[in-house]
Amino acid sequence: MRNVRVFFKKFDECKYISHLDLNRVMLRAVGKSRLDVWRTEGFNQHAYITFALPLSLGFSSECESMDFRLLDDGMDLSLIPEMLNVCLPEGIRVFACDEAKYKPADIDAALYEAVLTADDISAKELYTAFSELLESDEIPVEKKTKKGFKTVNLKEYVRAYSLLLDERSVTLSITLPAGSSTNINPTLFITALEKKTGAEIYYNISRKEIYTKEGVPFA
Amino acid sequence: MIPKEVEKYLLKVQKPGRYTGGEMGAVIKKKEDVEVRFAFCFPDTYEIGMSHLGIKILYSLFNEVPYIWCERVFAPWIDMEEVMREHDLPLYALESGDPLCDFDFIGFTLQYELSYSNILNMLALGNVPILSKDRKGLKNIVVAGGPNCCNPEPITDFIDIFFLGDGEEVDLEVMELYRVCRKENTTREEFLRRASQIKGVYVPSLYEVDYNDDGTLRSITPRDGAPAKIEKRVMMDMDKCYYPSRFVVPNIEIVHDRAVEEIFRGCIRGCRFCQAGFLYRPVREKSVDCINEQTHTLCRNTGYDEVSLSSLSSSDYTQIVPLLTKLTEWSKKENVSLSLPSLRVDGFTDDILDKIKSVRKSGLTFAPEAGSQRLRDAINKNVFEGELMHTCSVAFEGGYTTVKLYFMIGLPTETYDDVAAIAELGQKVVNAYYACENRAKGQSVRVTISASSFVPKPFTPFQWEPQDTMEELRKKQQHLKSSITTRKITYNYHDSDTSFLEAVFARGDRKLNAVMLKAFEKGIRFDGWSDCFSLQKWLEVFEECGIDPAFYANRKRSFEELLPWDHLDYGIKKSFLQSECEKAYRSESSPNCREKCLGCGAAKYGGGVCYEKR
Repeated sequence: MRNVRVFFKKFDECKYISHLDLNRVMLRAVGKSRLDVWRTEGFNQHAYITFALPLSLGFSSECESMDFRLLDDGMDLSLIPEMLNVCLPEGIRVFACDEAKYKPADIDAALYEAVLTADDISAKELYTAFSELLESDEIPVEKKTKKGFKTVNLKEYVRAYSLLLDERSVTLSITLPAGSSTNINPTLFITALEKKTGAEIYYNISRKEIYTKEGVPFA
Repeated sequence: MIPKEVEKYLLKVQKPGRYTGGEMGAVIKKKEDVEVRFAFCFPDTYEIGMSHLGIKILYSLFNEVPYIWCERVFAPWIDMEEVMREHDLPLYALESGDPLCDFDFIGFTLQYELSYSNILNMLALGNVPILSKDRKGLKNIVVAGGPNCCNPEPITDFIDIFFLGDGEEVDLEVMELYRVCRKENTTREEFLRRASQIKGVYVPSLYEVDYNDDGTLRSITPRDGAPAKIEKRVMMDMDKCYYPSRFVVPNIEIVHDRAVEEIFRGCIRGCRFCQAGFLYRPVREKSVDCINEQTHTLCRNTGYDEVSLSSLSSSDYTQIVPLLTKLTEWSKKENVSLSLPSLRVDGFTDDILDKIKSVRKSGLTFAPEAGSQRLRDAINKNVFEGELMHTCSVAFEGGYTTVKLYFMIGLPTETYDDVAAIAELGQKVVNAYYACENRAKGQSVRVTISASSFVPKPFTPFQWEPQDTMEELRKKQQHLKSSITTRKITYNYHDSDTSFLEAVFARGDRKLNAVMLKAFEKGIRFDGWSDCFSLQKWLEVFEECGIDPAFYANRKRSFEELLPWDHLDYGIKKSFLQSECEKAYRSESSPNCREKCLGCGAAKYGGGVCYEKR
């Protein structure tokens, strides 16, 4: 039995599959693929699959992963992406499969790219406001936690960022803490920006990479 | 495909996955490659619509025809509707993202009277004129199929064509005719006239109706060569009948998130309240081999690990045990669980229990429908208390501790004693649990009693009967509630308000079209959802239209009265329904189709149970 990790992209219509639903979609795909995967032995037996880091609804991603235990020790892992892809909707594409190198607990940060537009203000204005916001010492936002709402200073969590102005949009690339202990959702910055500008902001967010504590891509 | 303008707002609404498409199994064709575009509309949310078997069958069937592209459209939930109206986004089909008004055919399935308001709303959201008379040229043909087509009179102003009976053949014939008419460049009217000549097609605009002074129907007159009687279509050979080998598999969880295999159509029982039991006669079964193969293929193609064997009464399938044996040969190995909905109390044997238990244990639900034997005889439910007790004991011995029992209140001939008998029956089931020696140790029993309000429906022996008034139904609900003396019984009941509206539209006539239109104009929709339904609003609409809803719901009709659906022929003789109704008055039950033929009329279709050896 081997602990196997597949990497997949999630995009287009499949961005709108919630984490809970993704679990169902993947279970069906694993079942349909007839991969010899270890199953739980409880009351409702099912293939045992886990996900390292949940992705927010509406985000696309280039670096999602799913773990399972493969019962067939001799199997060529490079066959697995195609076996799963024929069983998945178009918006989920498995591109790699290997034995798991790091533990999900090793995850430390993630790189996001957010493309922002607004109807009420120009891209230039949006860019200026966002620059100001990101440069200020404090970016206070209300964050929902298990115990209720608390105010956090987002600035403390920004590991690195860059801001780009295009003709119609503003693109933010930002590295934020990720993982089970501290996880910062990039939409919090958009909430802060909406508060600052008073404009309704539309966004497309993509997770580009997940990093371990050593700063290397999660593999 | 999500239209660009829509995607911008998708994260502002609940469950955006409802509006995206892009599921495995969705059929994408090139617009240029097809001649007929069909928008299959389900007048409820995605999760409800995607659970419906009919849409799965017809979607696949239509898309197998190279010149047709069938897409899906569902009613947007109120938050999404608000966004669409605010930003002028038309209702679109999930496959192409194109607005409803771009389609040749816009087809609705009529499953439930309370979804009619959604039909009007969806047409309007899709930029399609809601009134038939305002739609011009050979496009936007609005068609409808499904059980409610047996009395479509309340929505004849909005729908161009109704399909009666099984849709597998007639729908394609009409699309083929459309293709021909478009080549010949005929008028819309000419197409409709020609369509009316196809068996199973009802074009309401070709019929004039006339009323008596008391508001009842005087006559229904066809014109332009339309048939005086419109006969339903029936697929007689179920093994040869089209069945999809794959479903569109939703990305988000839906109500019935599993594979479904239809095992037979129709029902032998003839329960007098049940419309489906008469509309789908005669009973036609699929063979064990056919079901086995179709089920296996479906599970393989969809990846579902649960399959539901669907019919009106699963245990009446003649080969049920051989079927389950055959299915479990592979289902266990492939970790697929089988579920058998619609089990009858008297059909629940140790054999069946063993087979379904071997895979996954789900809850047990039975529908005695009435509390007393007298009333069960009157409604022809033909379930005996002894059988229920035996079945429950078998289940309790098998480790079950919860049983759900479904009943109806407001049934014809019902007395308050009959209502109290529901509570007594529940109590007896509780007692049966404690009398059972091998019951689950240390666990209490849970009996859930659900009581819905009876709605008289067309093409049933009770089609002439008045519905109890809402006040009377509420009194009966309270009477039942106070008759329950144990906390081991949970009692659920439905609001009688929706049942009242359902009763009005179920047996309504064309005068109700004005009511529907006004209701739409007032923004009424999603009547099947308690968060949206308001009887008060509807009563205002009736008032403004000068129509008394009680005329439809609470009036006893005479056997001689011309009924709004008398020009539609579902193969059941009116005289048969009358004799069954009269038997109900005498609390007399009738034998089922396998015991004795009662000559209902369905034998004219030349097959099915009518020709089985008895």
